[in-house]
Amino acid sequence: MANLLWLQGGACSGNTMSFLNAEEPSACDLVTDFGINILWHPSLGMELGDNLQKLLKSCISGETPLDIFVFEGTVVQAPDGTGEWNRFAGRAMKDWVTELCDAAQYVVAIGDCATYGGIPATAPNPSESTGMQFLKREHGGFLGTDFASKAGLPVINIPGCPCHPDWVTQILVAVASGRGGEIGLDEFQRPKTFFSSFTQTGCTRNMHFAYKVSATEFGQRKGCLFYDLGCRGPMTHSPCNRILWNRQSSKTRAGMPCLGCTEPEFPFFDLEPGTLFKTQTVMGVPKDLPTGVDKTGYVKLTGAAKAAAPAWAEEDIFVV
Amino acid sequence: MANAAVQTLDISPVGRVEGDLDVRVDIEDGVVTNAWTSAELFRGFEIILRDKDPQAGLVVTPRACGICGASHLTCAAWALDTAWGTEVPRNAILARNLGQIAESLQSLPRHHYGLFMIDMTNKNYRKSEFYEEAVKRWAPFTGTHYEHGVTISGRPVEIYALLGGQWPHSSYMVPGGVMCAPTLTDVTRAWSILEHFKKNWIESMWLGCTLERYEEIKSYDDFMAWLDEKPEHANSDLGLYWRMGLDIGLDKYGVGHGKFISWGYLPHEDKYNNPTIESRNASVIMKSGVYDGASDTHKLMDQIATREDVQHAWYDEPGGLHPFERVTNPVGKNDLDPDGQYSWSTAVRHDDNGRLEAGPLARQVIAGGSHGEDWQHTDPLVLDMYKKMGGASVHLRHFARMHEGVKLYREAERILREFRLDAPWYVKPTETDGQGWGATEAIRGALCHWIEVEGGKIKNYQIIAPTTWNVGPRSNDGERGPIEEALIGTPIADASDPVEVGHVCRSYDSCLVCTVHAHDAKTGKELARFRTA
Repeated sequence: MANLLWLQGGACSGNTMSFLNAEEPSACDLVTDFGINILWHPSLGMELGDNLQKLLKSCISGETPLDIFVFEGTVVQAPDGTGEWNRFAGRAMKDWVTELCDAAQYVVAIGDCATYGGIPATAPNPSESTGMQFLKREHGGFLGTDFASKAGLPVINIPGCPCHPDWVTQILVAVASGRGGEIGLDEFQRPKTFFSSFTQTGCTRNMHFAYKVSATEFGQRKGCLFYDLGCRGPMTHSPCNRILWNRQSSKTRAGMPCLGCTEPEFPFFDLEPGTLFKTQTVMGVPKDLPTGVDKTGYVKLTGAAKAAAPAWAEEDIFVV
Repeated sequence: MANAAVQTLDISPVGRVEGDLDVRVDIEDGVVTNAWTSAELFRGFEIILRDKDPQAGLVVTPRACGICGASHLTCAAWALDTAWGTEVPRNAILARNLGQIAESLQSLPRHHYGLFMIDMTNKNYRKSEFYEEAVKRWAPFTGTHYEHGVTISGRPVEIYALLGGQWPHSSYMVPGGVMCAPTLTDVTRAWSILEHFKKNWIESMWLGCTLERYEEIKSYDDFMAWLDEKPEHANSDLGLYWRMGLDIGLDKYGVGHGKFISWGYLPHEDKYNNPTIESRNASVIMKSGVYDGASDTHKLMDQIATREDVQHAWYDEPGGLHPFERVTNPVGKNDLDPDGQYSWSTAVRHDDNGRLEAGPLARQVIAGGSHGEDWQHTDPLVLDMYKKMGGASVHLRHFARMHEGVKLYREAERILREFRLDAPWYVKPTETDGQGWGATEAIRGALCHWIEVEGGKIKNYQIIAPTTWNVGPRSNDGERGPIEEALIGTPIADASDPVEVGHVCRSYDSCLVCTVHAHDAKTGKELARFRTA
């Protein structure tokens, strides 16, 4: 039995909606089969109001053991660091967050907002939003660089806008079954098991990437989205093409360029004019190259690829 | 009234478009006599969008609300289409509509079981003859139908993933069309998902009959005859909802203003290929409208009549303006003052008709009107119920939401038949400056975006969400917001657990996480709090 509390700060509820799409285990399975006792959740919880306040205080005092504290959304600090622009249960949400994080065995940040600040922290960041332990790439965030939960781990970050339900449920099952200490984390405190491979890993357009055959505009059944349409699949760490979305597909499979939403810079280039769905280039070479590839290597690779490209690569491959 | 027990309820957390809401309600003699709704989260999406790439709304606005992301994307795309003067191929219109419908179908069981029906298991209703069965079916996590309903709600959005790669938060709708080019197997997969959803929930659990039988219901009398026709109907989740709802009096409160708005939605694939703001009303399958219950009159809704008042909201702005004229400017210090400013939501109103209720009930009473084009969808059922049952109520509002499911299902089927797989999905547009407007109906009501592009970047972006219509504070002339108004007259059986207030708020499906505080108005002692959405 593990007690779980889930709260939302500067959130759109997208991670909750994504979580509710889960199967194997489903949200209900987590409760009935894995002994996760959901103390409260904004969309699912039964205890409310007075009872909720009592519950929150009971978690903070330790009377109710808080095994897992899940936070979705940014920590809103406006105006002037008070957090009053996001009030919850009678006080600034950020004050609840501070006390609950101190009481929890594990703290899990769900989605980009809780991880890095996400869209609300995009310039000019009107709500003074930050992630739990990062603001974009900068370590620290709301809780500070030294924060560790009672189990001795920093915040476990599960980024993505939204994150995939399986990324959440698998980590929750690991924690609930006593294997939380085995979760390996990368430099952004993301579980390595999900965030070491790339979005491109498993993409159905990989052959077009290899032959440098580009999808030059939308609505095509061929071509790689990296060369012209700004896809960040080769530079983004996620298992989006290993663990499919909604059991069916992924953005890049469907024809939508990866936006890099599991990385701290999302939304990239601060959405400046001319940066959306267009590969940014310098002298014809993409500004951001596939991770680990240098410019000379890229020019050689793509030159050779273009020369070797077979005729079929220019035809529809995902045919009707 | 010296002995009258006067108490106050406060509902806490809603953002301008999603987030946190507080509601304060005065109760006298066990009945709500006054109400204030306060949105308690501000993230400033309209401010973030200023000076950004014209297409930034396609990425940012679905993230305004993870529950209605497809609806925001629909608005963002059509707003750019009208601003840039694009051509949108018929396949793309169909693909956008299918995404919108998939999201709405998802929301039916998810909202119904996850958020609404839990209240039927409240101990307040233990005297109802249906209580035991309600607990068995609808108790959170463990109820037999709760678990099935919440889990199967994930299926319709698998269709969204076939088009956009994932739900929530894809940006596959772009000016000029869509990013995807589905194949035959995508279409056949979508068919089988729909069939699964129909067989395993709509017909077997929700209706207890076939879609065809349900579609024969055209009037209140037809519906009551259907209910009595077979035990399968009466004991379906719809049948039980209807009978228990009446038994516990959900038809007796939650009246509201009796004035409604819908932008209309689902542009016809052959009628909106060269979209303009002006031509939209005559191009949508589900027609727009304003319905005034008092005079029983329908008319089309024109976006030009939209006004946003801010006298009672935390904005330092002139107010009373059309969104194209508005510049979002939050106050620094958001002190809660029911007599002054008390919400991040603006008070949206129609320039002639004042405050209007948005949502599925609005869509359905508008669908009953004879205004609009001859070919547009009409449906007399809910309007007939509205008249025969004495107006709006918690009961009818939630019924209207669920009633739409069969119609959306049929439209999804039609779309899958209409896709022409070898025809274009996208026509590359030319980026220009200009003003645009995109609208749709999210499951919970009227949603639209206004955009002004100048010098190749966003000059102004304005969003009015259904919850903005419904949850807004008083307008400058003092007219209550729709939920504020609907709370008036609500009976409260147990002030320490005012589930009825929750029923009213949840019947609007407000897109917010809200908490109700009940406290004694004289002593200020807080009696109870609870979440409403």
